[in-house]
Amino acid sequence: MLTCTVKFCGGCNPRYDRGAAYREITGAVHDIASFSLPQDGKHYDVLLIIRGCTACPYLYEEIDADHRVLCVAEDQIGQAADAIRALVSSK
Amino acid sequence: MMTKDQYIESLRKLNLNLWMFGKKIENPVDDPVIRPSLNSFAATYEVAEDPQYEDLMTATSHITGKKINRFTNIHQSTDDLIKKVKMQRLLGQKTAACFQRCVGMDAMNAVYSSTYEIDEACGTKYHENFVKFLTRVQDEDLAVDGAMTDVKGDRGLAPSKQADPDLYLHVVERTPDGVYVTGAKAHQTGYINSHEVLVMPTISMRPGDEDYAISFAIPTDSEGITLIYGRQSCDTRKLEEYNDIDVGNKTYGGHEVLVIFDHVFVPNDRIFLNGEVQFAGMIVERFAGFHRQSYGGCKVGVGDVLIGATQLAVEMAGAAKASHVKDKIIEMTHLNETLYACGIACSSQGSATKSGGYLIDLLLANVCKQNVTRFPYEIARLAQDLAGGLMVTQPSEADYRNPVTHDYIVKYLKGVDSVATEDRMRVLRLIENITMGTAAVGYLPESMHGAGSPQAQRIMISRQSNMEMKKKLAKAIARID
Repeated sequence: MLTCTVKFCGGCNPRYDRGAAYREITGAVHDIASFSLPQDGKHYDVLLIIRGCTACPYLYEEIDADHRVLCVAEDQIGQAADAIRALVSSK
Repeated sequence: MMTKDQYIESLRKLNLNLWMFGKKIENPVDDPVIRPSLNSFAATYEVAEDPQYEDLMTATSHITGKKINRFTNIHQSTDDLIKKVKMQRLLGQKTAACFQRCVGMDAMNAVYSSTYEIDEACGTKYHENFVKFLTRVQDEDLAVDGAMTDVKGDRGLAPSKQADPDLYLHVVERTPDGVYVTGAKAHQTGYINSHEVLVMPTISMRPGDEDYAISFAIPTDSEGITLIYGRQSCDTRKLEEYNDIDVGNKTYGGHEVLVIFDHVFVPNDRIFLNGEVQFAGMIVERFAGFHRQSYGGCKVGVGDVLIGATQLAVEMAGAAKASHVKDKIIEMTHLNETLYACGIACSSQGSATKSGGYLIDLLLANVCKQNVTRFPYEIARLAQDLAGGLMVTQPSEADYRNPVTHDYIVKYLKGVDSVATEDRMRVLRLIENITMGTAAVGYLPESMHGAGSPQAQRIMISRQSNMEMKKKLAKAIARID
């Protein structure tokens, strides 16, 4: 089971529902990944970054994670879930 | 940081001397006229709790290193300045009203950088005083009202030359422990929902005005302070038996009060300016600059809601496909995004002050606000154009609820068949609320006069325009020596 966390970027003018995207991604990988909000000093297998638009530059380097998976648009929700699933396959 | 519920409970402990409609208000928290403004202010706490908005709503204190609400942050970079504007747009979208907490944030940023430079020039300890106050505000996530605008009396006379000396707030008694002040601050947005008031001078001052060059912070319920609530268009709709549809925005709103200081004590360690007349203008200019930046965020968020409501109104009327309708919606969006562009621009071009706190580009901030004095009016005009006359002639909610008239209203106020008449009524009342009801106070006249009336920006634009450089450019091209 992958230990995952999430950061939401922006939110001032999102082009899609980022909360719904989070629920969809976590639902799609619930059998292989557990998500929680980031905690200081904790290591994660995956940091999922859900950006509201393409202008957001942050990678949240203060969060210790082996992999960063980005979702910047509604049509990338499936790709983000696939990317997390692929990490299990590659282990 | 405080949760929304903790914030609301903290307000119950305030002992405000508040008057409204001729009566003393003992419980402002649960008063139906005031409560929507509290809900808007509380949104600044509530949204900060949501992980989706943490990036915009929180920051790291440069003093303590702790996570803080961005409304208590001293901007440490242009990135902080940009995020401030985005946060304000977000909260405008969530509330469709003035959420009131910006004025304290802007005041704290202005006083922080100014006190550093005052101390450097005068050998005073104001910055130390202010940092102590700020640290408490950040640690306890307090709400702060920024109080600048004096009532001003005869605008042609300096503070010390007024027929009534109290028309500008001033020091009336000095003691070893502090000072006593008397005067009034007008148009105080969010005061009732704040724990502390941060007072600043309202104009640049000259020798002779020393007693008027005063800045300090004290609890909002300090002894000697009286508050008189400002009434708003359509405010008593909130008191009617049926007060859901007709108020337009049931949950959120804003407020202003007249704040009277009658011989109010200020302890020495809460004083941030005391007689240094040459620095009054610095505080005014910086606060005004920050607040003119703010309007490139908050008003845009309210504009987003108004544009959305207008699109709904035309869709509900079956008029959305008409080319002129589409064009007007595009124009509203263009105007709204132009305001946002100005807010982002003045932030991205900001720079560090001597204190380390960041200041926006003042020219661009004043251009931003100058546009804000105009564009929301045009957006509102287009919204009223597209909403149609029904926005102001539709029957009351009481008639809608009355069995005798209900069915007639449902039948004859129907638009497209797929939309319930009640939903159409709600959208039209929302447009009314923003363009001429309680929220219009914040969206229109506040856009005109808040953070300074239009002429104040034109003076600053003139000062900052760098005209000599422009003349040199023209001479070079025209080959003039």
